[in-house]
Amino acid sequence: MHRLRPVHYLMIAPAQLMLAAVIILPAASLLWLSLERFTYGRSPEFVGLANYAYILADRAFWRATLNTFLVVNVVVYGELLLGLGMALLVAGWIPCRRLVVSALLAPYAITEVSAVVMWRYMLEPDIGMINYALSALGLGQIDYGGDPTAALGVAAVMAIWMHAPFTFLILYAALLTVPNELVEAARVDGAGAWQVFRHVKFRLIVPAILIALLFRYITAMRLFAEIWLLTEGGPARMTEVLAVYLYRHAFKYHDFGVAAATGFAMLVLSLAIAMPYLVQMYRRMLRDAA
Amino acid sequence: MRPRPAARAARALLAALAVAWSAFPILLVALSSFKEGHRIFETPPSFVFVPTLEHYERLWEKWPDFFANMANSLAVTFGATLLTVATATLGGYVHARFRSRLLTGAAFAMIVVRMLPPIVVTLPLFPVVNWLRIHDTHLLLVGIYATFFVSLSTWIMKAFIERIPRELEEAAFVDGAGLRQILRRVILPLSANGIFAASVFVLVYSWNEYFFALIFTTRAAKTAPLVISEILSTVEGVDWGLLFAAATLQLLPIVVFVMAAQRYVVAGLAAGSVKG
Repeated sequence: MHRLRPVHYLMIAPAQLMLAAVIILPAASLLWLSLERFTYGRSPEFVGLANYAYILADRAFWRATLNTFLVVNVVVYGELLLGLGMALLVAGWIPCRRLVVSALLAPYAITEVSAVVMWRYMLEPDIGMINYALSALGLGQIDYGGDPTAALGVAAVMAIWMHAPFTFLILYAALLTVPNELVEAARVDGAGAWQVFRHVKFRLIVPAILIALLFRYITAMRLFAEIWLLTEGGPARMTEVLAVYLYRHAFKYHDFGVAAATGFAMLVLSLAIAMPYLVQMYRRMLRDAA
Repeated sequence: MRPRPAARAARALLAALAVAWSAFPILLVALSSFKEGHRIFETPPSFVFVPTLEHYERLWEKWPDFFANMANSLAVTFGATLLTVATATLGGYVHARFRSRLLTGAAFAMIVVRMLPPIVVTLPLFPVVNWLRIHDTHLLLVGIYATFFVSLSTWIMKAFIERIPRELEEAAFVDGAGLRQILRRVILPLSANGIFAASVFVLVYSWNEYFFALIFTTRAAKTAPLVISEILSTVEGVDWGLLFAAATLQLLPIVVFVMAAQRYVVAGLAAGSVKG
């Protein structure tokens, strides 16, 4: 019974077929699509690298790339700091731990749409509680509709709020595996809280930090709804990110070729970021298979 | 070990801040949905008020379809979760028990696929979906949502099934059980925790998904998050009370679910992402 039989391949077939039909084949055909001019009512026409030439010459594309780069980095590192802080806090002594962990997880259950609802409500001009408080303190207001930097900042805060539970949980789980004897030994040797963190805990959770960073780099790049439902990329396309740029060209301008070129760039970028992880996984899997 | 009182107070305060950061926006929306319209923008927000259902009544009158959209969300979520768990359990068993070059290749493909940005598949899929006439159907969303989580779920099932001793299968085999019976009588009951962990992620995702619903539905299969975004973007200005009522109906069940399923979220993450 421990021989691999054809029926076992049949059992992995449904998952592989789904992946092939919905992700792998479409992703592969993207390259082809990006070499065509393709819109409604006209048959596709091969245009070589023209779509790539178009996006590389398009200021809006570079703006979207820069915005994506900035927001992704703010989100990923902001979330790492927040998630690490939460994990260190919860892994030590706190009252009602189970309840606190539940509350910290809650944003994971919220759709991007409702997150935008919440933050837009708090940021309503003049009357939203954040802007009301800021202007009461004489600090001005956060004008996400007019100020691109403010809009990107708000989108970043929303993304951090929604995804902090992921980073928190991964780091919390890693901290729980740090042996107590190591921490005690360091204390006996006279290490303070910071030194215990720096030289013991931090070193042991570095792999978990790297995993959290990698996964969040790749998923943060997908940012769409936070911007689209906040500003639609405006004013004057100043707050677009790559996903919004792609969406606008595909589903507003019906210029699928340009959108496909953008998509292909995003795909290559994602794979490039994931490459060290993928190579490591590949080696480990080959070793396990042998 | 309990720290000194001063340190305890500091830690309790920090914990309260962290809880406020995470839970306050959610509570705010849920509570405000029961406030009279003119009190919604009271500053500072009051948490003591006479609750009213006026916004829910208006939601019922002005957006009667919202409840059908909630039903769509439910159907799509249920379908996607079922499809994911079924395929992931079959696949997870094989990946847990057998090794071959082809299986390694298949497993590696699943990891690579998780790195691709989902948005890119909309472009090639769009014409195909129209050609197949499955635009705006539950089936399409079920297929897409399940596919994006079948990889993580297979990985989770593999991790859980690996913990079931092979001897149990061998004993069943000696008793004359075939593969189907072994799966049903041994693997399924003993991997119930894994099945639950594998379903949590796809369930939350399908219930909340916005982007694919925006692109691939127009009327019949429209899901709740999409309609909430439409209520948010009405040109006559936002009707906050009504919007909060809709958002609350959508988020309350899933927030309660995630909190209750806490340990499965933790177990699933550990099996699914940390170990790759």
